[in-house]
Amino acid sequence: MNFFIVLFGKILSSLSKKLNLGSGSTWPGHIALKLNRHFIEELLSESKTKVILITGTNGKTTTSKLIETILTKAGKKVILNKSGANLLNGLASLLIENSNKGKIDADFLIFEADENVVPKIAEIISPDYVIALDLFRDQLDRYGEIDSISRNWKKAYEEFTKSKFILNADDPQIYFLSNGLKNKTLFFGLNEGEEQKQLEHASDSTICPKCGSDLKYSKIYYSHIGNWSCPKCGLKPEKIDLKTSPLYPLKGTYNQYNTLAAVLLAKDLGINDKDIEKSLKSFVPAFGRQEILKVNGKRVEILLAKNPSSFNESLRTIESQNGRNVLIVLNDRIPDGTDVSWIWDVDFKDLTNNMKLSIAGDRVYDLALRMKYADKEYEMFEDLEIAIKKNLEEINENQTLFILPTYSAMLDARKLLTGRKIL
Amino acid sequence: MKQITIGWLYPRLMSTYGDRGNIISLSKRCEWREIDVKVIELNVGFDKKQLEECDLLFMGGAQDREQKVVSEDLLIKKEILLKKIEKGVPGLFICGAYQFLGKYYKEADGTIINGLGIFDLYTESSNKEERLIGNIAVKTNEGTIIGFENHGGRTFLGEDAKPLGKVISGFGNNGKDGTEGLIYKNSIGTYLHGPILPKNPSIADFLIEKALEIKYKEKSVLKKLDDSLENKAKSVIAKRMSINL
Repeated sequence: MNFFIVLFGKILSSLSKKLNLGSGSTWPGHIALKLNRHFIEELLSESKTKVILITGTNGKTTTSKLIETILTKAGKKVILNKSGANLLNGLASLLIENSNKGKIDADFLIFEADENVVPKIAEIISPDYVIALDLFRDQLDRYGEIDSISRNWKKAYEEFTKSKFILNADDPQIYFLSNGLKNKTLFFGLNEGEEQKQLEHASDSTICPKCGSDLKYSKIYYSHIGNWSCPKCGLKPEKIDLKTSPLYPLKGTYNQYNTLAAVLLAKDLGINDKDIEKSLKSFVPAFGRQEILKVNGKRVEILLAKNPSSFNESLRTIESQNGRNVLIVLNDRIPDGTDVSWIWDVDFKDLTNNMKLSIAGDRVYDLALRMKYADKEYEMFEDLEIAIKKNLEEINENQTLFILPTYSAMLDARKLLTGRKIL
Repeated sequence: MKQITIGWLYPRLMSTYGDRGNIISLSKRCEWREIDVKVIELNVGFDKKQLEECDLLFMGGAQDREQKVVSEDLLIKKEILLKKIEKGVPGLFICGAYQFLGKYYKEADGTIINGLGIFDLYTESSNKEERLIGNIAVKTNEGTIIGFENHGGRTFLGEDAKPLGKVISGFGNNGKDGTEGLIYKNSIGTYLHGPILPKNPSIADFLIEKALEIKYKEKSVLKKLDDSLENKAKSVIAKRMSINL
């Protein structure tokens, strides 16, 4: 049956391309699922494809890309799926596109899952690996508070009975996900870097996931991520399987965690250290995640900043490079979250005054207020194109313009920078 | 030089929605007027004496798990808080804190969680667990204020309780009776995030003015500040909601 559905889907898909209906269409998948409700589960179980599910607030896309790079260099065929509006139709379409004779023609399927779709995924597939990176407050209007997410995740993780878990031990809520479960679990965590004892204001999970007491930290890397233990019930990470990587292709502590997750998976799949290191060296960042673009000979680096923790970390990363021209772009469309309150949890006050800050976006006036109340000087632009243009004019070829956008602002900025429209 | 002490209740646990912005707004608006300001953070286990010395109180919202920890701690200190509020010491209580100062919170399964009973109100969780989310505009004595609401509970005021204002756009206390928040003596309870004070400086100034009046026992007139940026930020959102300020 699925043999014919795949064939039929492929014909539909090529027809749609010929008729210019768009190649990324999800309707072959829609039709496949109408013909067979269990199309995805069946096709996956009939194929040798291993499924890697990646969950977390920050770092999913970068981690997917890291894993994809390592596996591809090791000669594996990898396909990638992102959860979007048409979760199941999209996945079914992707599988059709990559199937041959009723079987999926790929060694690995990497599945990047937004916070709120994890329970839904648990209903349809049983991944070989489930990676959990972190859990921060992010778009509270859309995803809800992190306690309700972690409750839903906990339930979903109980459904992943056949999966091997790869978890961040330095995030208390993530560490606790495997509590009471029999799954094979590997943990990664950091054990290096600067010591920072003070909790940032944007810290989310500072109470014990088991008993609710205040956690004690011997080291804090950022937000609530660090070496923690509960003084009351004694909960703390018992074993950490990976603490260092031979190489970190991206800057920032948060990317060290993403790298550790990818390396731990690769090692477990039997890829040797040398090959891992070699492929990490060749890594090219994903869309807007420390992505570097050359525009008229000048360097632009885009660092997606979508919540207080990713914003703080991105600012710190720019500071460590003595970055000067920084453009912050705040939108409040659906993919950004419609509530912009979170900018008040970003630590602007601590920034050095070496930065020349520019602001833009749909909510530029909210950003302006934030700057005013943090005693920061700034230049305000109602028009993003003019903001980019003016900033590019101000730097020479040895300097970098850093752009910190929310999600939809990142797409806007990229379009302006890469499209023919600008400059 | 005049001085006020702001007591920030449970910043470590009750600050989920950018509520730090309210403390920043109050502090800066004092600083710009040369009013000396001290902020004390009152986390779980704080000394009662610290609460005694506060001239202005602030408490934000949190998640259920954290709210439980806080409620156990605050119940012990209820009398001091009540005395302060009755005396007219101004306070701002947002979302979870607003609900907690009421009589009780009834969960969807009927479980009643007792509140402090300082505000004449109660809150119910909606049956369908639908949250009330979005931009909100409210008409108050201090002018139209704008913010962002995101709450699961529906709050109902007692007969004699005075709402903070009337909803022009959005949901407010319960999405039904058109009221938003509550004002009791000089204390305000509200669902508005945004955070509320930076874009609504009239509310911030009301709180500062009352804090000075109670502390120094004399009428206080605050120096006017240039609020053109604050007003612009507010009017941009108002315009989007098709509201004339």
